[in-house]
Amino acid sequence: MSIETTANGQAKLEIDGDGIATITLQMEGRANKINDTFGETLQQAIAWTKKQEGLKGIILASGHKDFCVGADIDRLYKERDAVNLRGRLAQLNGMYRELETGVPIVAALTGSALGGGYELALATHHRIAVNSPKIQLGLPEVNLGVIPGAGGTQRLPRMIGIQAALEHIAQGKIVRAPKAVKAGLVDALADSPEHVIDAAKAWIKANPKATQPWDQKSFRFPGPRPGSDQARQIFMAACAMLFKKTAGAFPAAEAAVASIQEGVALTFERAIEIESRYFAQLATSDQAKDMLRTLWFHRTAVDKLEGQPKAEAHGFSKVGILGAGMMGAGLAFVTAKAGMQVVLKDIAQQSLDKARAHCEAEAGNLRHLSKDEQAEILGRIGYTLSVDDLEGCQLVIEAVFENLELKHKVTQETEPKLALGGVWASNTSAIPIADLAKVSRDATHFIGLHFFSPVEKMQLVEVITPEATSDDTLGRSLAYCKAIGKLPVVVGDGYGFYTTRVFSAYILEGAQLVAEGHDPVVVEWAARKAGMVVAPLQVFDEVTLSLGVKGFKQGRAYGKTLDIAGVKLVETLVDKGRVGKAGGGGFYEYGKDGRKIWSGLSELVTQTPDATGVELIGRRLLAIQALEAARAIEAGVIKHNRDAEVAAIFGIGFAPNTGGPLSWMDRQGLPALVQELDGYADKYGERYRPPQLLRDMAAKGERFFDAV
Amino acid sequence: MPDAYVFDAVRTPRGRGKDSGSLYTVRPVDLLAQTLRALADRNELDTSQVDDVVMGCVTQTGDQGACIARFAALEAGYDVDAPGVTLNRFCGSGLQAVNDAAAMVASGFYDLVIAGGVESMSRVKMGSDGGAIWDPKTQWNVGSVPQGISADLLATLNGITRHDADAFAVESQRRAAMAIETHKFDKSIVPVVDESGVTVLARDEYPRPDTTLDKLSGLSPSFEMMGRQFGLDSLTKNEYPQVERIDHIHHAGNSSGIVDGAAAVLVATGEKGKALGLTPRAKIRSVAVVGTDPILMLAGPMPATQKAVAKAGMTMGDIDLFEVNEAFAAVPLAFMKQLEVPHDKVNVHGGAIALGHPLGATGAMLLGTLLDTLEEKNLSTGVVTLCIGGGMGIATVIERV
Repeated sequence: MSIETTANGQAKLEIDGDGIATITLQMEGRANKINDTFGETLQQAIAWTKKQEGLKGIILASGHKDFCVGADIDRLYKERDAVNLRGRLAQLNGMYRELETGVPIVAALTGSALGGGYELALATHHRIAVNSPKIQLGLPEVNLGVIPGAGGTQRLPRMIGIQAALEHIAQGKIVRAPKAVKAGLVDALADSPEHVIDAAKAWIKANPKATQPWDQKSFRFPGPRPGSDQARQIFMAACAMLFKKTAGAFPAAEAAVASIQEGVALTFERAIEIESRYFAQLATSDQAKDMLRTLWFHRTAVDKLEGQPKAEAHGFSKVGILGAGMMGAGLAFVTAKAGMQVVLKDIAQQSLDKARAHCEAEAGNLRHLSKDEQAEILGRIGYTLSVDDLEGCQLVIEAVFENLELKHKVTQETEPKLALGGVWASNTSAIPIADLAKVSRDATHFIGLHFFSPVEKMQLVEVITPEATSDDTLGRSLAYCKAIGKLPVVVGDGYGFYTTRVFSAYILEGAQLVAEGHDPVVVEWAARKAGMVVAPLQVFDEVTLSLGVKGFKQGRAYGKTLDIAGVKLVETLVDKGRVGKAGGGGFYEYGKDGRKIWSGLSELVTQTPDATGVELIGRRLLAIQALEAARAIEAGVIKHNRDAEVAAIFGIGFAPNTGGPLSWMDRQGLPALVQELDGYADKYGERYRPPQLLRDMAAKGERFFDAV
Repeated sequence: MPDAYVFDAVRTPRGRGKDSGSLYTVRPVDLLAQTLRALADRNELDTSQVDDVVMGCVTQTGDQGACIARFAALEAGYDVDAPGVTLNRFCGSGLQAVNDAAAMVASGFYDLVIAGGVESMSRVKMGSDGGAIWDPKTQWNVGSVPQGISADLLATLNGITRHDADAFAVESQRRAAMAIETHKFDKSIVPVVDESGVTVLARDEYPRPDTTLDKLSGLSPSFEMMGRQFGLDSLTKNEYPQVERIDHIHHAGNSSGIVDGAAAVLVATGEKGKALGLTPRAKIRSVAVVGTDPILMLAGPMPATQKAVAKAGMTMGDIDLFEVNEAFAAVPLAFMKQLEVPHDKVNVHGGAIALGHPLGATGAMLLGTLLDTLEEKNLSTGVVTLCIGGGMGIATVIERV
């Protein structure tokens, strides 16, 4: 056995006595990425294999934790030249063709292979993965505003069929290794990395003439053939389902469907050109830049807690949660799931019973766990009516009703039970943490943790730090958030913090547009068309209008002027008993065949707008939120621009296609936007008046983020 | 510029467009050939005088591929001098052939053209010719939904209810049944025969005279599931954001029937007719074709009719009878509503809901029906109009001479 490396040292090359070569990618840095160095490495490795006498097969392996993490996004982010990009794609695709048209080649998936990484695995004859749920596979490119560009849209449908490939690619699905054989994404599983290599060698020996299915004369598409009636129906359904979901705001998924449909009817080699065209068009587009910046770079920075005080560990083994409502129950469950003991306290046994049922149901949903493992999680949660049971908790999260006096009362009552050096967190969506901390014995250990519902699903946590909060408190709180699998964004204190300010502006403007006489059906569509994940009236109904009215009261106490017609409209609806979805109806009426705008709504509206339309409404809905984001920066609530983007998208479903409210403003161009907003302010009200920050930035030609 | 006259029009009966239908066993080229032969025979036409045979056919693949017009003319025993061309303007093809023939003749470049169309929907499935209309890329760039979704959208936008559509369907059946019983179609119908001359089909076989409102009310809407559950309704949202929910009112009973059939129309200049000893039955006063929104798709008959009527220098009040193709009940209902035309002037002998809609032939069939009816009732002017896939509309104004 000889062992050497490629000339650039980025891959280990070895060949055994049976003539089976192993190329182990070990690129500089923490992962194998697809960039120029990768191309060079693969080229050198291929050249080396060609020189090996008696070569019988190749195993493609990784020396890193992951098999390959895909495209080098730094490189892709900066690329604006479609011709350049096409050239590099052609080179890469050419090498992949060389790989799959030579001796039998197997991908040894000892780690995750996502995006470009999985495309590399697709360019082999056989994929064997370690049977571990930690290993992720798939083509999630559309989530970043692009599509697979190294053959993914062409190899996958030829391998698993059109319908399945569409589901994986257009939805950007990620599959974990244990389920990947059934999905057809890998061919076999092995227990350990060593067994993967053994299995790979055995497979090569058993299949000395392996070729890709699409290179065989007898090749037939798995499932419906391209051009068949069935295939056509699949594509039509895919288009419809996709549009229903995205309202056309996400062209990447649309291009993925088109690339598959056009490509599958052609010869494999030429089909790649179709994919490359769509890829280059998308990858060089504004939208992809904005999405990559926020959803990749900024999200990663937030996830890694960049610029935040770091604690070695949160040090919480016993966590108390006050209030066993939906939020409290959810927090109890995710905390217990992360291995901590939990005491869930409420004043009503009924609430505790409901919370217990909720946790049991959630545990039951964790299908990858055994009954014993599920029981172990549930066993960590204690339910109590007694404050005394909270004795010794190192973290208490207060999640009682949104009421200052009540929150003060429970703080005073419970804080003495907190262990020495413990952290007190208040889960509130708007009340300034400093106000809550007024009754605390120690404001340095007091912090705001604003979770989103349902807490099991929503990734974001808005971490609120008044002046007094210590770095230690923040660091440990962040460590706790990470431990329960959350994405914590740190913001300054102030009424509504960041997300609630932006979200309130959004839903209130939705109500305002209706009050101005815009067609509510068009308002809802315009929001979705602009990229908003949920339409404003729908979500207002879901968070309940009566809570909104309570919020108005609270907001006014904190000095907000809430005098627009939209506010009055919501108040009138609540007066009429239309309190929202939970109360039977609000803006909508809910029947057995779904929701419909309440037929009485138009009678409450007397105004008629002089201009309306999807475009105008969509712009107003994004602008009103972007203004709040700018004001939050001005007020010091947002400390890093990136946080405004990540929190808006992951917390409240701000249009991901824009990259976030600040990216959206950059994309409009601040000077033009300031002018537009002044026009809106004159016409629709002062809430549209741009803050000084925007005027100054516009005057100085500044942006929130560097242009690419 | 010479005037274009219609000298005669014939059609086959319409057979059910499935493998149980009478015409399923007859090749589409034979359906068309028999029609062409009948037209030539009953007019004692010297087919060497035919300048062109222009035929509409929508699904030009399989049995209907390879320029069926030319081979039908040859099968019909037309002189080899008579050429043939096949055109496709979807459901407007048959009338497009007539309009093209009229324009060819009126231009002075041609003297006599046979127009018409054929469609064997039992043999050649609708949509089996593929096309960009199905491509996702076209979907994103242009937008396209199945016709039934468009029909339901048209109904929703025009406030046409399920009851309206069902009542219209019942009336279409009643009128068609009455027309058949009283031999109103006999003038134009050419029975289809087999190789030994034995009749295969002599009467329209699609009508269901026993249709009642009650029976129709039991049918479930055909496009509701694909519209709501599979999201096809949402594909109309770009153009119609104000439509919260499409009211799915159409079903097999209030939409046009899938059938087989062929039709042929003899169009010539007056001079040529005279030379051949033929008597003109009507003058083609004007023709029009329009493009409209492809998502709503079926709203073309209204602007097409208005355009054609204006081109003829007439007003809507001048028109005695209308044949508005009953692709879906909502189409004639929207037509009557928008253009304020009373039902007793529209489709007086029923329409495609009762009789069926052999795509490429329908327009030419309707022209013949209109002409027969004007003669029967001793009226003067009439309009034929059809809605067309891709968002188009076509119309022809004729006047008896």
